[in-house]
Amino acid sequence: MISTSEHTTSMELSFPSELGFEVIARDAVAAFARRMGLAADRVEDLKTALSEACINAIEHGNSLSPGTRVAVVCHCDAERLLVEVHDQGLQSYTPKGDPLSISDKLAGLGPLRGMGLMLIAQLTDESGYRSDGEAGNCFWLAYFRQPVVGCR
Amino acid sequence: MMLEDELTVSVRERDGIAIIDLIGDVTTFAEEKINTAYRDVTNRGARFVLLNFRQNDYINSAGIAILIGIVTEVNRNNQKLAVSGLSQHFQKIFRMVGLAQYAEIYQDEEEAVQSFKTQAAAA
Repeated sequence: MISTSEHTTSMELSFPSELGFEVIARDAVAAFARRMGLAADRVEDLKTALSEACINAIEHGNSLSPGTRVAVVCHCDAERLLVEVHDQGLQSYTPKGDPLSISDKLAGLGPLRGMGLMLIAQLTDESGYRSDGEAGNCFWLAYFRQPVVGCR
Repeated sequence: MMLEDELTVSVRERDGIAIIDLIGDVTTFAEEKINTAYRDVTNRGARFVLLNFRQNDYINSAGIAILIGIVTEVNRNNQKLAVSGLSQHFQKIFRMVGLAQYAEIYQDEEEAVQSFKTQAAAA
């Protein structure tokens, strides 16, 4: 669903919580971001960051549970594009500290996976997590529409 | 409904270099195909392995984890690993996660093959 108010254009998507559907959400949000004027290289960053956030929602927030869903909500105003990824909160998000480096992973000090949050942090202007209580978890990704000092 | 992967993996040899062509998305669904291709070239005695990416619009962290697993095996087997054909975005991602420390990144297959040939001649 797409809606436009005087200052904000919004889009909402909902998809089954199954790996692979994040690609559909990614392509839709990328099209929305391009339409809102986000630069091509930032759209590529958004595609990867959003995919990782959706995978987290599917695998962790919804625990790969059949019948659950993931919602993606985009808001774009004059300042920034904000993308929220909502799961149903079967597991709450628990920060695990800094991710292992690749050398640690190669040394067998931890699982090979687990780089998604690091990618999200590096590929967004701002990102974060909030609990929506019983409604679930929300990861949000933000991209400023104009270059801001201190941001990539 | 399961959305299947869209990755084609094939193996060939060029000038003594094992080339694994990866056409399509590299995600968690790619694990068996990529590992099978790597074991295939290793069983044939490959010393130089090139992962040649083509038309890869989607490489996610699960796909990157598979590639880190390949790096583990390459180190264990005393092979050399390189990658080619990545978009500028995914070259950036590979550097971000540290894969570039363990696999040289080349723009294309030709550049990678020439570098491997130089290394082989110097060995």
